[in-house]
Amino acid sequence: MRKILLLIFCCSFLFAEAQERTVNGRVTSAEDGATLPGVNVLLKGTASGTVTDANGNYRLVIPDGGGTLVFSFIGFRSLEIPAGERTTVDASLVPDVTQLSEVVVTALGVERQSRELGYGLSGVKSEDLTVSREANILNALQGKVTGVTITQSSGNLGGSTKIIIRGVSSLSGRNNPLWVVDGVPINDAQDNTTSRITGNRDFAGGSAVINPDDVESINVLKGAAATALYGSRAAAGVIVVTTKKGKRGQGRATVTVNSSVRFDNLFRVPEYQNEYAGGANFKYDSTATANNWGPRIVGQQVTELGTGNRVALQAYKDNYKDFYRTGRTLINNIAFADGNEKGDYRLSVTSLNQVGILPNAELDRLTTSFNAGMKHSDKLRTRFGIQYISTQSQGTGVAGANDPNVFNLDGFVRSTNFKNFKPWIDENGNQLGFASPFDNNPFWLQHENKNEREDERFLGNFETIYSPIQELSFTARLGYDFDQDNRLITNRVGTRSRATGDFTIDKINRKQLNVDLIATYFKTFGSDYNLKMLGGFNYNKRGFSAETLFSQNLSIPELFNPSNALSNVPTRGFAEQTLFGAYGEASLSYKDWATLSVTGRNDWSSTLPADNRSYFYPSASLALVITDALGMKSKILNYGKLRASVAQVGNDTNPYQLDFNFIPAAVATGQYSLNQNFPFNGRLGFVAQNRIPPINLKPERQTTIEFGAELQFLNSRITLDVSYFSSSNKDQILAIPIPQSTGFATQTINVGEVVQEGVEISLDAKVIDGKNFKWNSIVNFTHNESTVKSLAQGTERILIASEFNNIQVVAVPGREFQLFTTTYLSDPVSGRPIINPANGLRQSGPVATRGSVMPDFTMGFINAFSYKGFTLSTTIDWRSGGLIHSATVAALWASGATAETAVNREGTFIDTHGVLANGDGTFRENDIPVRSAQTFWNNLAPSGAADATIFDASFAKLRELGLSYTVPSHILGTRFIRQLQVGVEGRNIALLYAKVPHIDPEANLFGAGVDGFGVERAAVPSTRSIGFNVRLTF
Amino acid sequence: MKRLLIIFLCTAAMMIPLSCADQLDINRNPLTASKADPNAVLPFVIVQYSNRTVTEIGTRMVDVYQHASATFNSPRGGGGAAGGFLSSNQWGMLYVTVLPNLSLVERDARAAGISNNNVAAIAVTLKALAFLDATSLFGDIPFSQALRAELFPQPDYDRQEDVLRGIVIMLDDAMDLIDALPATGTFNVAQGDLIYGGNMTNWRALANSLKIRVLMLLRNKDTSVDAQLTAALGEPYISSNTRAAMLQYPGNPGNQNAWLQIVTAFGTGSNETTNYFGPSPVMRQLLQDDPRLELYCVDGTAGGYKESDIGVFPTDEEARYSNNLIRANLPDIWLLPAEITFYRAELAAKGALAGDANALYRQAVTETLQFWGQTIPGAQKTLTTDQITSFVNGLPDINPLTQAQQLKAIGEQQYLATFWCPIVSWNHVRRTKVPAIEASPGSTITTMLKRLLYSPVERAANPKTPDDMLTDVPMWFEN
Repeated sequence: MRKILLLIFCCSFLFAEAQERTVNGRVTSAEDGATLPGVNVLLKGTASGTVTDANGNYRLVIPDGGGTLVFSFIGFRSLEIPAGERTTVDASLVPDVTQLSEVVVTALGVERQSRELGYGLSGVKSEDLTVSREANILNALQGKVTGVTITQSSGNLGGSTKIIIRGVSSLSGRNNPLWVVDGVPINDAQDNTTSRITGNRDFAGGSAVINPDDVESINVLKGAAATALYGSRAAAGVIVVTTKKGKRGQGRATVTVNSSVRFDNLFRVPEYQNEYAGGANFKYDSTATANNWGPRIVGQQVTELGTGNRVALQAYKDNYKDFYRTGRTLINNIAFADGNEKGDYRLSVTSLNQVGILPNAELDRLTTSFNAGMKHSDKLRTRFGIQYISTQSQGTGVAGANDPNVFNLDGFVRSTNFKNFKPWIDENGNQLGFASPFDNNPFWLQHENKNEREDERFLGNFETIYSPIQELSFTARLGYDFDQDNRLITNRVGTRSRATGDFTIDKINRKQLNVDLIATYFKTFGSDYNLKMLGGFNYNKRGFSAETLFSQNLSIPELFNPSNALSNVPTRGFAEQTLFGAYGEASLSYKDWATLSVTGRNDWSSTLPADNRSYFYPSASLALVITDALGMKSKILNYGKLRASVAQVGNDTNPYQLDFNFIPAAVATGQYSLNQNFPFNGRLGFVAQNRIPPINLKPERQTTIEFGAELQFLNSRITLDVSYFSSSNKDQILAIPIPQSTGFATQTINVGEVVQEGVEISLDAKVIDGKNFKWNSIVNFTHNESTVKSLAQGTERILIASEFNNIQVVAVPGREFQLFTTTYLSDPVSGRPIINPANGLRQSGPVATRGSVMPDFTMGFINAFSYKGFTLSTTIDWRSGGLIHSATVAALWASGATAETAVNREGTFIDTHGVLANGDGTFRENDIPVRSAQTFWNNLAPSGAADATIFDASFAKLRELGLSYTVPSHILGTRFIRQLQVGVEGRNIALLYAKVPHIDPEANLFGAGVDGFGVERAAVPSTRSIGFNVRLTF
Repeated sequence: MKRLLIIFLCTAAMMIPLSCADQLDINRNPLTASKADPNAVLPFVIVQYSNRTVTEIGTRMVDVYQHASATFNSPRGGGGAAGGFLSSNQWGMLYVTVLPNLSLVERDARAAGISNNNVAAIAVTLKALAFLDATSLFGDIPFSQALRAELFPQPDYDRQEDVLRGIVIMLDDAMDLIDALPATGTFNVAQGDLIYGGNMTNWRALANSLKIRVLMLLRNKDTSVDAQLTAALGEPYISSNTRAAMLQYPGNPGNQNAWLQIVTAFGTGSNETTNYFGPSPVMRQLLQDDPRLELYCVDGTAGGYKESDIGVFPTDEEARYSNNLIRANLPDIWLLPAEITFYRAELAAKGALAGDANALYRQAVTETLQFWGQTIPGAQKTLTTDQITSFVNGLPDINPLTQAQQLKAIGEQQYLATFWCPIVSWNHVRRTKVPAIEASPGSTITTMLKRLLYSPVERAANPKTPDDMLTDVPMWFEN
């Protein structure tokens, strides 16, 4: 021991006596000139070294005689530079394609080497988001990311798309992920002031304003370990969006112009019959709406609807084309960007102009985005970004039922000439067209009742970074999200079933302020150990307010002014909540092949009781690059990483759940929304809440374990990424139904558990990697099972969402979310319906669950072929399993509109799927004729029994198709245009496979705001889009 | 260095909220109240009770007891349609909205002392009415353990007989509360009382009238209540059309009776042209030569006020209920004096009560015609006194008839007197079997619908919910 101490002493003396000097410099990427933080700089042959700071700068003490500096960084080739006598040694590192450990943006906007991550993460790059440009960025992710289920509700312009990550974990509807843009959480709420079932106007959620042209990358943080630093907002996953920044140009600003024009048509048209005319019981009725049970069409003379003329009866096979039109989408983006050592900026303006397939449906969105960063010194940098998005839309189609504005595919009576429905209004404001006193001319609905929306969105963020020393930096980041959403839902005077006219004005405001103060410290110990630490504080405040005015009985038909209404009912909504968080992370790497990370976050939420508002979420993860650890030099497996993590995240609850209150009542409700307004005869109304408030409410807790592997074969020609996860979601905050005879409908308590288990596999192969021809293929596979393990004792099921006719999505212990409905009385063995011997019809039986509404698995197949300047990209999206109930199919059948209803219409009609009871528990084939085919199809849902229209929702779609050509620079022959790319792009090109007849299997009644999967009712048909794209870079 | 640090710290400091505690103590909804005045709660309860009942039991079920030929989504044929949303909506309205809010009003009023007895009495009377509705629709219901969540998280179901007897006790309690009111200094409930404007004499009469209604149901199976019945009939009851219990709909947009609203929402705004509701064969037959036929109906192009078959909506050729009946300001009628007079006539015919059955029968018919033809607010068509007198004089003297014939005559007129009073009408035909209501065509049951299925919402949460009986199983009070 004494010898060692003596040796240390001597060495110290020697070092102290040696001549030294300081060398400094900057390390940049040879690829784009960007500075590289975290690069190891080592004096060769010694243990003396450092790492570059956040700006890529370093400072190192070396012997006066010089030496060789070794620069090493994951993803780049190591570079050795003799220092010589220089005091400044800059280094430009060249990417090493064989290492392929990319930098990814993780929680809180922290950039990490992917090889250090102990959890799975899926990323999509800018160019993949704009293969076929989309108005809603979520649609552009379909098929490209593992672990997510993305469903577009309908073909409505500005409609919603729902994404869930790794299945559903919450029974209280908190399954939408958190969106984070440039490190700042934004609002993704989907506000719906109309009923989701009686006349749903499906407007997109808050994330839809993110402009794909401004996005550099999207990373989906799926597991709890990835999201742990977001604590109580992380249970449903996090989508991290990084916007484009200005880069150092080639001596001048970069100007990019990207223009697309696209044309939209119906994606799927029902297989209509064209043999029978409108009417009933083989009798022609010119006023028939949604009724095709008239006579066989043989050219007989009839009175025509709309004109009153006597014409030869005929089928208008394509009459839907006289209503739906070709939609058109224009997307034009221009972006200016530049940067130098002192700063950078990027200004982008995007104009989205759409006309929908529905008449008079339009959407215009202008997105202005500006961000800039300034380096004030080596120690201080600031950056800010603002986005202003202005959206106006009208003509949004209405889904559901019991609203006169719903016009569905069953409305196209085969013998009706829709050309006769224009004009739809006379000079006195009277409705023309449909003769029925109950049904509206669909052109009237689209043109006179426009469902207008104006949405003004402002997203801003500001960040300052202070680095007093190389290893330490402090970041203060502020983000603000402001959304003013104004809507006008109208029924012009003269709208049948709303004859006196009414309108609803909604003014919805959401705002969110988010502050993060973060300190980071990193230190290299010798050449083997690398420590990164992070500590921070978060303040998040969210506010919501809504002013709604419902006005009825208008004097001037088209004047939607409260002063023009005889009845006005104003209502107001308000909520605010605050969240404080303190968090930390420590990450220790050994030789770049082993990284252990631990995180912790403590949250304080205003929505929970004071005694329970503080709670802690931990996580730990391990990443092990086995190929480096074992020194493997195999060409077959050139890179292999194993990862494991365990983490806990959670959920607080909504504001104002703790007290018992009396609520001012705006209306007393009635069946069919036949309500009474307050004041009633001069009296106000107050009503006690019907929910027993909770005592000692705790936050929900989600515990997840995850294992995974990332393997690269054949010199990284093939990359396989596999994840397995298992999570348990306990202490769900649920308003559980209690017997209403107690005087309350629900009681809010911590109860219930949902367990999830899943596998995600991504296979990326450079199938052909030739000099001219390349073929890259990606296959994504996702299997999730979200099982309701338990509910409250004595609670059989919990309602998740409800359609009419007792069709519900429910949570039942031991199963995934179930479709729950009235069923047929059926043979318990074969499941075939038991026929009523008196009339030959099916009969209603008990209510029962019918199976999961969640898919068994989803797969995406992405292929890109490039030859010289040509690139052909395709995305196929396959979803297997899950149920859907289609009320549209039910309506098509009941109305006799589709081909199957024309079969055997005039003969003896026997329901051959049914059986007859023998009375001894056995059954025989049904031989009882129904009075007519019309009677059979009209009575397929006795007492709401929906079995006949519940389908397997499986489908496969050719989701994207893009062909582009990049004009070689030598052809451009000028330095003015640096790049020119032209292309053809298409979305929803083909339905390759489906079990649901007539409709798009993806359609969803409820929209993104609730968890009502598996139910479709009068959805606006989805679209197939084909267009052209030009991209210019100056 | 120092300057940069100051810049950074200043920037960061500006982002930090001043007080964590203040920021977290914001979880109280500024738009709600922790207490509510009965003058604010009672209007909601009364309107919600009326509107839901009109839209569910009225517009969906008026063809069950066949005051009209057809309705939308009717449960008349039995099966699942007699449950589902129909049951859950009505059950939820009674148990989750009306009854608990009335309990809160009653609790606070009792705690405030006898000066608030009027409020407590109104609440108890309305609770009795709501429980009577519940048992009339579903039979056995949670009663003794209902509305006491802390003690009975899963309330037991009480037999209908016990419920009815319990309702009588509640109504006695309401009358006792009113009798104990101080002469002065009582709480002013005029604003909240949409029925009688705070007139407690009328409320006492209504409570007693409801008690008579319930005792008549009990008497169908247990004549030992006759003494109670006689005593009740000796107390003040609703005896004048001007004191009829009803909710008057103002008729202004947003406050229109739902009978018109459904015609407006899904039709033309006029039942006479929309052709939703028309008289059933039973109604048409009973209204023959009755001035109420023109009062209630418009004729079709076929003439003769042709009725529509059960389950079929009227056409232009057939009679439809007129805009005099289906109008914006049509009151929702809860109790008419004629109902009590008919009970007296019935009891007299059965020898259970002293009195002239024929005179009471004529008085009851006269009261009915006077109400619908003269007293009812907002009428578009009226009857003259001569018309009424002439019609009543034309009725046969029932005293010479057999008891069965007397009861048939009384029952048929009472059936007409319960017109557009959904639950009262249904109870009448189930209790008296007059007129005989046949099963509607295409029914899955063998008789008129006798009961609703239990609410699936209640069933899912309360394991004590009994198995549903078939919907043609009679109520306990039926003979």
